[in-house]
Amino acid sequence: MEPLTIAVIGLSVLLLVVAVGYAARDRLIDDWLLAVAGLLELSLLVTLVVGLSDLGHIGDSTERATFIAYLVSLPVIPVGTAFLAIKEKSRWAMGSIAVGAFAVAVMTARLLQIWTSHG
Amino acid sequence: MADRSDPARTLGGPGVLLVVVYGVLALAATGRSVLQISEYFERAPVSYVLSAVAALVYVLATWCLARGGRWVRVGLVACAVELVGVVAVGIASYVEPSAFPDKTVWSHFGEGYGFVPLVLPVLGLLWFRRVERAATAAAATPHVPR
Repeated sequence: MEPLTIAVIGLSVLLLVVAVGYAARDRLIDDWLLAVAGLLELSLLVTLVVGLSDLGHIGDSTERATFIAYLVSLPVIPVGTAFLAIKEKSRWAMGSIAVGAFAVAVMTARLLQIWTSHG
Repeated sequence: MADRSDPARTLGGPGVLLVVVYGVLALAATGRSVLQISEYFERAPVSYVLSAVAALVYVLATWCLARGGRWVRVGLVACAVELVGVVAVGIASYVEPSAFPDKTVWSHFGEGYGFVPLVLPVLGLLWFRRVERAATAAAATPHVPR
């Protein structure tokens, strides 16, 4: 779980940097950026499956429920922000991707925090 | 759909950022609310019902921001409810902490969420008002470059 979440955080930071770069050069969303977002989405789905399959790791039931909530919410973000970014034809589209990527990084860090505080 | 050609469509420019931030908060609030009610509702029913209400209002506001058009009015109301909610619950949670044994999105002025719940409705209100004004201005001028 640890390497997986660290990979997710790495990918979301990468997406954040790419999005800021695109915004700076006034570029709209393209296949390359979508590929990075897709990779992030894929890693979140893998995290979801791995996380759900090893729930016994977290003893406290409240913490476990929070953990599940984060796991399930996370994959929604890249899809939602990419959808908004495709519809938005201005520099702000990259803002959508960047804020989403930041949220993924923060939420995944919380996920990792809950995981490592147990077991 | 009439909404799409409406000059008051909110999904443009900085509005897209508000949609994302609102969306993330709506997601977080809904997730937390679902687990509070399903897992340990009896622990603090008042807090958890409040959380659920807050979550619903965030989802509604996100929808209004994304759709614009005739949803702008609804969005204004949703943001106003949020602002009143966060201020009222914020004060109440300091004055009467025993009434809130567990945190809600709105307790302590949204401290648990980095005060985002306090700032967001203000931004939402300003944005909706701007959109509404633009729509009124557009309606007054016959030719709107769009």
